[in-house]
Amino acid sequence: MIMIEALRGFTYYKGVPLWRHALVIQWALQIISGVIVVVLVTTFFTNITNTIQDREIPHGFSFLSREYQTPIGQHFLPYESSDSFLYAFGVAATNTIIVSVVGVILATALGIVVGVARISGNWLVSRTSLIYIEVFRNVPLLVQLFFWFYVVLALPPVRQGYVIADKIYINNGGISLPWPSASNWNAAWVWLAVVLASLIAAMVLHRALTQRETLTGRASYPLVTGIVIAVAIAVAGWLFVSAAFGDAPFAISDPAPQGTFGRIAGGFTISGGLMALLAGLVIYTSSFIAEIVRAGIQSVGRGQTEAARSLGLAPMAALRHVTFPQALRVIIPPLISQCLNLTKNSSLAGAIGYSDLANVAKTMTQTAPAVSIYVLLAAAYLAMSLTYSLIGNIYNRSIRLVGN
Amino acid sequence: MASAMDTPPGVVLPPPITERGGVGWAYANLFSTWYNTVLTFIYAALLGVALWFGLSWIVLEADWKVIATLGGRLIIGQYNTEFACPGQNCFWRPQASLLLVSVLLGMAWAVSRDKAAKRIAIGVAAITVVFAFLPYSMDQMGLDVRLLLAANVPAVAAGWVLARHTPLGTVRWIVMLGVLFFLVILVLIGGVPGVPGLQPVSTIYWGGLMLNLLLAVTGITLSLPIGIALALGRRSSLPLVKLLCVVFIEVMRGMPLITLLFMSQVLVPLAFPQDFSTNSLFRAGIILTLFSSAYMAENIRGGLQALHPGQVEAARALGLAGWQTTVLISLPQAIRNVIPAIVGQFISLFKDTLLVYIIGMLDVVEFSRAFIQGNAEYLASARELFLFLALVFWIFTYTMSYVSRRVEVHLRVGQR
Repeated sequence: MIMIEALRGFTYYKGVPLWRHALVIQWALQIISGVIVVVLVTTFFTNITNTIQDREIPHGFSFLSREYQTPIGQHFLPYESSDSFLYAFGVAATNTIIVSVVGVILATALGIVVGVARISGNWLVSRTSLIYIEVFRNVPLLVQLFFWFYVVLALPPVRQGYVIADKIYINNGGISLPWPSASNWNAAWVWLAVVLASLIAAMVLHRALTQRETLTGRASYPLVTGIVIAVAIAVAGWLFVSAAFGDAPFAISDPAPQGTFGRIAGGFTISGGLMALLAGLVIYTSSFIAEIVRAGIQSVGRGQTEAARSLGLAPMAALRHVTFPQALRVIIPPLISQCLNLTKNSSLAGAIGYSDLANVAKTMTQTAPAVSIYVLLAAAYLAMSLTYSLIGNIYNRSIRLVGN
Repeated sequence: MASAMDTPPGVVLPPPITERGGVGWAYANLFSTWYNTVLTFIYAALLGVALWFGLSWIVLEADWKVIATLGGRLIIGQYNTEFACPGQNCFWRPQASLLLVSVLLGMAWAVSRDKAAKRIAIGVAAITVVFAFLPYSMDQMGLDVRLLLAANVPAVAAGWVLARHTPLGTVRWIVMLGVLFFLVILVLIGGVPGVPGLQPVSTIYWGGLMLNLLLAVTGITLSLPIGIALALGRRSSLPLVKLLCVVFIEVMRGMPLITLLFMSQVLVPLAFPQDFSTNSLFRAGIILTLFSSAYMAENIRGGLQALHPGQVEAARALGLAGWQTTVLISLPQAIRNVIPAIVGQFISLFKDTLLVYIIGMLDVVEFSRAFIQGNAEYLASARELFLFLALVFWIFTYTMSYVSRRVEVHLRVGQR
């Protein structure tokens, strides 16, 4: 079909040699590049298949149901060495996803603070931010990770570790915090459902009240009302669930030293590797986000800020209601790519002993076919990238300029 | 108002003390409103505490001996060890390479209209002279090493004279000499079989900062042209070319570099016939270059998109052919517009050269880490070592962004 279309556009001009005709050149280029790529790809594939057969390298995906039989350092999903490769892969992916999500949230928050401080009228504040950005952006992440890792390692051992108010334990094994643990899973799930419902109700209310405020000009306090309603429903739900199940849905589990070695049990322990990884990733990425935020805010015309100020808005209010919403349009696309970078950079975790996806996959290649594992790995990272892009694009669409 | 009345006409009074000099500056920048005043005091207190503890740690508590112990090994890694270079002293080869770089810097100083080249050339010469007088004993750091370091000053001077007083003093010659010197450096460091004094050193022993710089320079010079080709391919009207470029760029950008490097270690040897052997360094260089060129392509595509379509239309209307329009009109403007992004990519390529640790190359960071792991007595000074490495990398990357800012000033980006 394309061929016929192309031929239809082909007119022969007298005196112009065939090889100088634009269509001929274009098609020749495409065919040549296509042939080169096909030849290269087939050569590589035949080579790989030949080598695999010659050297009897295992291949295929049947290994996925086999037992992995290798420990994984810190893991958020329950994991035993007798679990399958597939499940271990999922556990490692969860590790990466958790680092990525927590890191993105913290880095964005820190980056916005530093970026806004960068354009502050206060000389000391803006200079400090400038130094922060220039230092952390220009030092390789791996060096920063090692630095934080050895800072954590230099903390005192468990028995001489710092204890804050008998609840928080800081030592070279990591940091242990009090953490809610479900005392009765049925009650816990019911209560979580109630909390979700309360959040939805608060959001609906917030939207309705904001609309009323915009339409009528009467102060309706959408944010305060929303928060109060959400908290009220959650507390009422807690009391009701406690009464109905005879047991509170969650109890706070405090970490405490146990046994002769004083190992910390209970609560939630963020391992030293994870701590160093998060510190490094968040600080490194936030310095990039700060620059994005600064550029975004400065891209909004001066007239906007001046108009907001002359209308009587305080500097912070002008920033929050006028400048920042407009700056978001410039900020979001590069911000998404920074979030992707953070996710990809979390693959450096292996260097400081945190079992992320790339690290576990690397270990898996010792006992399972490497080719298959790389296919899985590529698919996993691609899926994560696409998810971030999708979320970012949806958000980007919601804040774009509405046509007049 | 009364004082204004008292002033005789024609006399101009200086502005009040609160609006001029240091006091005026402090009022405007530190104490303009009540919350700025509060912020200033909080920041000053926090900075004071941080500086106090930081400085007292750096001066009193920190043990910087580990850096002195590692010394030149940070620069060259295992290059001069007994198994890399048996029976000989190979330290002069990286040093001679540095001399060639100094000559180029001197030439750049003579040709450039900007102070940046001069500052960098003088900075390199000054630092090398300082290194030549390091308080090591003569056993640890021989006279030959010191002399070769100090020779960087005459090398810069020679470059300057060469560029000022011979026909070599043009940008074109400097670029050509740069390429030539790079190849000479590769031969110097790699060695030539059969030549006395230049015995081959296997690439697995290349290491230290030298390895980072070699990989970065190779990657930077190769990724720009590949990136331009990919960017043009992605904007091409030929569907097949476009598809191939899009797939390549997105696959490279979708994977972490560390995974690609490790994949290259396992998959690339499988993909080539068995008698065709590739070494790790070669593979790492290829992967770094391809990875970086995918990002480079996106930067350049951004510059091409930002270009007003009138430029291309005008060029075509003047009778320029398609390739002439691209090479002479679109690309120069597009590249000029995205210089900060391109240099940013150069900087991150330089920072990414650290990741070759995954395939067992001992670059400066991995060499340091391995040293700390292997020598438990230095475990306590790991923080000092990595702080020092952070400073070293910071100096390199900050110099790169400084040069980029100067180039931007000279091309007057944002002033048209």
